[in-house]
Amino acid sequence: MTFPTSCSMRGLLILSVLLGAVLGKEDFVGHQVLRISAADEAQVQKVTELEYLEHLQLDFWRGPAQPDSPIDVRVPFSSVQAVKVFLEAHGIDYTIMIEDLQSLLDEEQEQMFAFQARASSTDTFSYATYHPLDEIYGFMDMLVAEHPQLVSKLKIGSTYEGRPIYVLKFSTGGNNRPAIWIDTGIHSREWVTQASGIWFAKKITQDYGQDPALTSILDNMDIFLEIVTNPDGFVFTHTKNRLWRKTRSITPGSSCIGVDPNRNWDAGFGKAGASNNPCSETYHGKFANSETEVKSIVDFVKSHGNIKAFISIHSYSQLLLYPYGYTTDPAPDHNELDELAKSAVTALASLYGTKFKYGSIIKAIYRASGGTIDWTYNQGIKYSYTFELRDTGRYGFLLPASQIIPTAQETWLALKTIMEHTMNHPY
Amino acid sequence: MQPRWQLLPAPGPGGPRPTAPMLALLLLLALQGAAAAPAGSAGSTGSEHSGWRQDAELQSGLLQQAARAALHFFNFRAGSPSALRVVSAVQQGRAWVNSKKERKVDLVFTTERYNPEEGEERLGKCSARVFFRNEKPRPAINVTCTRFVEKSKRQQEDYLLYKHMKQLKTPLEVVSIPDSHGHIDPSLRPIWELAFLGGSYVMWEKTTQFSHYYMAQLSSLKQWKTNDNAIDFDYTVLLHEFPTQEIIPCRIHLVWYPGKPLKVKYHCHGLQTPEEASGIEEGSAVAPTELSNF
Repeated sequence: MTFPTSCSMRGLLILSVLLGAVLGKEDFVGHQVLRISAADEAQVQKVTELEYLEHLQLDFWRGPAQPDSPIDVRVPFSSVQAVKVFLEAHGIDYTIMIEDLQSLLDEEQEQMFAFQARASSTDTFSYATYHPLDEIYGFMDMLVAEHPQLVSKLKIGSTYEGRPIYVLKFSTGGNNRPAIWIDTGIHSREWVTQASGIWFAKKITQDYGQDPALTSILDNMDIFLEIVTNPDGFVFTHTKNRLWRKTRSITPGSSCIGVDPNRNWDAGFGKAGASNNPCSETYHGKFANSETEVKSIVDFVKSHGNIKAFISIHSYSQLLLYPYGYTTDPAPDHNELDELAKSAVTALASLYGTKFKYGSIIKAIYRASGGTIDWTYNQGIKYSYTFELRDTGRYGFLLPASQIIPTAQETWLALKTIMEHTMNHPY
Repeated sequence: MQPRWQLLPAPGPGGPRPTAPMLALLLLLALQGAAAAPAGSAGSTGSEHSGWRQDAELQSGLLQQAARAALHFFNFRAGSPSALRVVSAVQQGRAWVNSKKERKVDLVFTTERYNPEEGEERLGKCSARVFFRNEKPRPAINVTCTRFVEKSKRQQEDYLLYKHMKQLKTPLEVVSIPDSHGHIDPSLRPIWELAFLGGSYVMWEKTTQFSHYYMAQLSSLKQWKTNDNAIDFDYTVLLHEFPTQEIIPCRIHLVWYPGKPLKVKYHCHGLQTPEEASGIEEGSAVAPTELSNF
C-alpha cells in the first residue's frame, strides 16, 4: 500500500490499523514500516523466506510479488534489527517508511478528532466545508438557541428510515403571515445545496436588522427553510455512495431502492418525464406522495395555506427554472415568472459573473413529470422556482468546498430578488 | 442566398451578432464539405444539402449538445491532457433535419481551459459541424478550434505531466478522485486529467442527440508498467448521464505517450439490463495482455 498524501486514504489506513489495535489490544510502539525494493527474482525469493519466519511476526502490507514491485512490511520493534541485518547482508534495498508506527497513529488520531471537533456556536461553524447530518442538525439547534426570537425549528415529519425532518422558521411575529419556502438537498448528492442552505440560515440571522431589504421582508413575511430535505439519502451519500440521489425507501417486488423525490409530486404524476422502473434514478414511486419526505412538505404547505413563494434548490447546471416540466403548455403566469427569473439571474451574476440560463423546466432542461414546483404552482403558489446551482459539469456534484460560500452568496442575491418581488406583489 | 442565422437567446440584454470574420469562418466550414461523416449523411458541399431541410424549431439545447459532443471529440483527438477544454458559450448555430430525423448542426462556440490557471480568463473559439444520427450514439464530428495554448508550451506541459506520472510509484492504485468534498490532491491532478482525456472518448461515443454526459468521478485506477514507457491506465470513471440522471460506471483502458495518438478501450455498464457498450479506437493496437479479461 502506498502512502498517498490524501487525508482520507491515510485516515482509512490508520483507522484499520487502529481498529486492529483496539480489537487485538496491540500497541505499535517502536514498530517500523519498511519498503523493500527487491531488484530481481532472487531477492524476491529471499524476502519471501522472511515471511515464513513466524517468530519475527512480520505483517506484510504489500507482499512480495515481482521485482520492482514495492514490498511493504510492518516490523515489530523486537524484530527490527534482525530484519535489517538480513536485508543488508543480502544487498536488498529498503527504506524506512514509518519510523515509529505508534507515534504516527497517535498523531493521526488527534488530527481526526480535531477535524471532527464540534463548533460551539454558529460563529465558529465552518461554512466552507461539507458537513454530515448530525452536524447540520447541531447547527440548527445552535442557531435557534442563539436567536430564539427570530428562529424556531419545526418537525414536519419523519423519513422512511425514521429520521426527523426539520424546517427552520424565521419569523418576527404576526399570525400565519404570507411566507416564503426554500428547500435544499431534496436530491441528496447535490451537496452544495444543503451547504448553501446552512449559509442562508446564518445569513438571515445576520442580516435581519442590518440589511434593509431582508429586514423589510421579515417584517412582513415568514421564511421557512428546509436544509436537509432528504436526510436518509444524505446519510447514504456520506456512508456508502456519494452519488446517491433518491430516497431510501424499499420498493416491494424490487431489489432496487429509492424513489426520485422530484418525480413523486402530484403534478403530471407518472406521465412522460419520469420512470416507472424502480432501479432508475428518476423512478416516480408507486403513487404520488408515496414518499414521506414529499408528503411531509405537501401536508405542511396545505395546512399553512399562505405560502406565496416556493423555491426548491438543486445542483448542478446553473439554471433558474419555473413551471412546467410535465407539459409544454406555458404556465399562465409565464411572462411574469420569466421577467422575474431574468432579474434574479442578473442579480446572481452581479457578484462573481456566474452565468445562469432561465426558462420553463421543459424548455430549459428536459421534460420532467411529478416535480415539486409544478405541484406547488398548481396549488396556487405563483412564485414557484427551481434553482440548479454551480457548476456546469466540470465538477458537477463533487463541487469543491471552496466554492460553497461564493455559490451561496450569489444565490442569495437571486433569492432576495424573488422574495422582494413576492413581498411587493401580494396576491 | 443569405444564410439565416439562429441567434441564441441569452439571458440579459442582446445577444451576439454574427461579425464578418465569423461569417467567413462559417462559410469556410460550409465549403469544406463533410468530414468524419458516416455513410448515410448528406456529405455535401456548399449549399447542396440534399435531403436536408432547415430545422425551424431549433432548440438551444441542441446547440449545447453539439458543442459538448464536438469538444469531447476535439479533446480526444488532441490527445493532450494539459490542454483540455470545456464549453464556455455557444455563439451561433443552425441546424438541418432530414427524413430520418437525423440532424446536422453547424455552430460556433467559445471554450475555456478545463483546468484554468490562476486568474487566466482566456477563451478559445471553435467551429464545428456535428451529425446526430437521431437516437444513435457517436455523432460524426468535424471541428476546428483556435489554438489557445502555444504548441510548444502544450508539448512541454504534456511532457511534465508524463514525467510526473512516471515518477509515481508503480503499480499505482488510487480511489476516488475527486474525493467526496470535490478535492483533488495536486499531486493527483495529472491523473485526473489523463483519465478525463480517456473519458472524453467514451463520452463522445455515447452522446446522442438527446443524451449527454459529464465525468463525475474517477472511482478506481491501476497504473501498469509498459515496455515502451507509455502511461498505461486501467480505470473506472462514473459518468453522469442526462436526462436520465443515471450514474454509469465505465471501465477504461488507455495508453498514452505525449505527442502520440491516444489508445482507448472501454466498457460501460448499463442500467439493469447490462447494455454492453464498448469501443475500440480505430486502428489502435490492442493494449498490454494483462487486460485480456476485460
